[in-house]
Amino acid sequence: MKRARVFAGPIAATAVAFVVAGVWLALLGADPLRALGALVGGAFGDSLALETTAVRAGPLLLVGLGVALSFRCGIWNIGGEGQVAVGALAATAVATRVAAGAPGLVALPLALLAGTVAGALWAGIAGVLKVGRGVSEVLSTILLNFIAALLVAWAVHGPLQEASGAYPQSDALPAAARLALLPDLHLAHSGLVLAVLLPLAIWALLFRTAAGLRLRAVGASPEAARYAAVSPELETVRVLLLSGALAGLAGAIEVCGVTGRLFENLAAGTGFTAIAVALLARLHPLGVLPSALVFAALAAGSGAMQRSAAVPSVAVQVIEALVIFFSVGFALPRRESA
Amino acid sequence: MPLVALRDLHKRFGATQALRGASLELEPGSIHALLGENGAGKTTLVRALYGQVAPDSGEIAVDGKPVAIGIALVHQHSMLVPALSVAENVVLGERGSAFLPRARLHAEAAAVLGRHGVAVEPGALAESLAVGEMQRVEIARALARGARVLVLDEPTAVLAPSEVSALLQLLVELRARGMSIVLISHKLEEITAVCDRVTVLRAGETVASRPLAGLDAAQLGRLMVGDALPPPGRPPETEPGPVALRLAGLRAEGLAGIELELRAGELVALAGIDGNGQRPLEEVLAGVRPLDAGRVELLRPPLALLSADRQRTGLVLDLSVAENLVLPEAAHGGMPPVFHGGALRSAELARAADEAIARFAIRAAPDDPVRTLSGGNQQKLCVARALRARPGVLVAVNPTRGLDVGATAAVRDELRAQARAGTAVLVVSTELDEVLELGQRIAVLFRGVLLELPAGERSREAIGRRMLGAAAA
Repeated sequence: MKRARVFAGPIAATAVAFVVAGVWLALLGADPLRALGALVGGAFGDSLALETTAVRAGPLLLVGLGVALSFRCGIWNIGGEGQVAVGALAATAVATRVAAGAPGLVALPLALLAGTVAGALWAGIAGVLKVGRGVSEVLSTILLNFIAALLVAWAVHGPLQEASGAYPQSDALPAAARLALLPDLHLAHSGLVLAVLLPLAIWALLFRTAAGLRLRAVGASPEAARYAAVSPELETVRVLLLSGALAGLAGAIEVCGVTGRLFENLAAGTGFTAIAVALLARLHPLGVLPSALVFAALAAGSGAMQRSAAVPSVAVQVIEALVIFFSVGFALPRRESA
Repeated sequence: MPLVALRDLHKRFGATQALRGASLELEPGSIHALLGENGAGKTTLVRALYGQVAPDSGEIAVDGKPVAIGIALVHQHSMLVPALSVAENVVLGERGSAFLPRARLHAEAAAVLGRHGVAVEPGALAESLAVGEMQRVEIARALARGARVLVLDEPTAVLAPSEVSALLQLLVELRARGMSIVLISHKLEEITAVCDRVTVLRAGETVASRPLAGLDAAQLGRLMVGDALPPPGRPPETEPGPVALRLAGLRAEGLAGIELELRAGELVALAGIDGNGQRPLEEVLAGVRPLDAGRVELLRPPLALLSADRQRTGLVLDLSVAENLVLPEAAHGGMPPVFHGGALRSAELARAADEAIARFAIRAAPDDPVRTLSGGNQQKLCVARALRARPGVLVAVNPTRGLDVGATAAVRDELRAQARAGTAVLVVSTELDEVLELGQRIAVLFRGVLLELPAGERSREAIGRRMLGAAAA
C-alpha cells in the first residue's frame, strides 16, 4: 500500500462527514459554520483545548492500535472495553494495595505493568477459548466486557473501595504511582509520550519483523499460512495477548495519568470508539494517531459546540457516526471485499 | 432421430479451449456413459446440454428443437434444502396454491416418490437422509417435473457400496421406462454394469461414440488417454541414491495404505484421476491432515511442497511477491539471512526477491501483491519459494495445472533439474503427459492406494487401465 493512498480515504471520509453534518445542523436550525467552528475551536482552539484532545486521544490510540493488530490477523477483538477496565483495575490494585508505600521508581512501573499483563490475560482468555474450543472471539470478547465491568463494580464496592467508604470508588493513587504531567502543562501527562512512540513500534512490528509477517499472513489466509509452517492458532493467541496488553496499558495509564482513582464506567466507550479509530485508520498503525485525534477532538469539542451554537452535544455522536459511516465507505480495508 | 443431439460444440473460457468439436447423441431408453480425463470437457459439455453454458459454436437440439428443456442435472452434492422435509423439497419451487395442508403435501410427495420406487419417509428432514437417499429424492423430484434426460455427474463418488447398487438399480428401471440417462463416472465396473453406449472426450473433442458392448477396460483406457505418442519431454536419467522419503502404510481419511520409497535424485510420478487420494496425500505431507496409521519418514529433510491449490494453500494472495517468498522462513521466529533475531532485514529481502524474479523469470515486481500475478507467474513464485529451502525432498502436486505451454515447460524442466541435482522429487499429477514426461518410476493413485507400474509396462494404456482400477494385478 502506498502511504499517500492510506491517508487519502480517511481524510475524504472525515471531510464528507463534516459536510453532511453541516447540512443536518442547518436543517436543525443551527448555523452550521458556527457550530462546527465551535466544535473545532473546542478541540484545538487554545492550549487547554489541545491538551484535552490529546489526553482523550491517548487511550483511543493505544486500544485502536491493538484493534488494528488483531483485525490484521483476522481476529475480531471487540473486547477493548473490558481489557481497558481490567487494566485499570489491576493498576489500581497494585498502586493502592500491593505497592502502596513503594517509591515512584517502583510503584509506577509496577502499576503500569500490572495493567498491561491483566489486559493481555483478559484477552488471552478469548484466545484460549477460540483455539481450544472453537468459540468465536467476537462473542467471547463482547461477553468478557460485561464480566470486566461487573468485576470493577464489585472491586469499588468491596476490596478496593476507598477507606472512608463514602463513594463506590478506590482510594486516590499515591503520588508515587501517578504519571507526572508534562512540563508546563496542566492536563497532558507523560504517558502521552508513548502515544507518539507506540505507532512507530507497532508499524515496525507489523512490517519489519518475522512476527508481523506471520500475523499478516494468518489474517489474509490461514490455510496458506499453515502450509508455510505458520500456526494460525499460535498467532491467534499471540495477537490477542498483544492487543489486550495495549488496551490494559491504556486502562492503567488512565488511572495513573488522568483520573487518579478507579470507579465504575471509567473511560466507558473507549473500547468501542477504538474500533472506529482502527477502521478509519485502515488498520494502519501510523494512521491510528491522526484517526484517534479525530475522534478525541469530536469528544473534546462537543461541549464548546453545545455552549456557543446551542446544539445539543448528542449532535457530536451523530457526527462520529457519520465519520465511521463514510470511513467504511471510503476506506474499507481492501481484503474485506476480497 | 435421437432425443438429444449436441453437434460439434466449441467453447473457450479465457485462455482455455474447453470444447473443440464435442458431440453427444442420446437415444430414449438408454444409459450413456461419458468418459474422459480430468479437464477433457465432460462438465462443460453437460453444462451446455443443461443450458448453463452457451457454446461459442455448434448445434444443440432436444427433440429437434434448439432448446434445452426437460433436462435434469444431479450433482455429486445434494441440492436439497437440508432444513426442509423431503415432501417440502419435492414441491419446492413448483407453482401451486399458496397454502398446502401438510397431509396433502405428504400424500403428493409420497405418490411422487413411490412412482419412482424411492422409499423415503416424506416427513423426514432432508438433512437426516443418507447421501444416496438424497440423490434418489432429487431424481424423483426431477422426474416429477417432466425431465426426460437425466445427467448424473460422478454420482457414486460419494456413495457407500450398498447405495451405489440402489442408485444403479433405479437407473436401470428408469431406462426401461424410456428415460435417457447420461452417467459421468470413472468407475469402470459401474459403466459396464449399466451403460449401453459410451462417448469418450479427449481435450474437448469427442474421439469415440459407440456401443459399449465388446469394449474391455484396456480399450476404454486407451480411448480415454489417446494413442501412445512419444512424449515431448523425457524423464531425467539419474542414478538413484539413498532413500530420502519413505511412506509406510499411510492411512488417513482418503488414504488406504500408501507405500512408497523415494530415493535421492529420483523422480517418481503418481498418476490417477482426481479424488483418488491426491488431496489427502498432499495434506498429510504438508502436515495438516492427521494420520490414522503409518509413518512419513523424512530421511533427507527438509521437505518442500508445491501445493495443487496455489491460490488457497500455496500463496497468500494479499501479501507481496517478496513476502510470500520468505513466509516459511518467518515461521518459528525467523531464519537467517532474511530474518535476524526476529527482525526482517529489508536489504536481504530485496536481494532474495530480485534473485528469485531473475532466476525464474517471474514477471512481477517484489512489492506487487501476488493476487495481481498470472497463474504461471504465481506458480514460478511457488517453485522459487520451495527451492529456497534447499529441499532434500520436493513434492509437486499438479504443478502445471492451468499454466500455458511456456510456463509448463519451465516448471517441468526445473523439476528434472532438481532430480539431477540430487533432490528426491515426487510429482502427483492427473495429467498423463506430465507423468510420462517426468516419472522415472510411475505409479497410479487409485482409491487411496498406489498401483505401481512394472518397469516394462510404461504405456498410456497400462496407466489408463490402472486409473480406472482395472488390472490392479
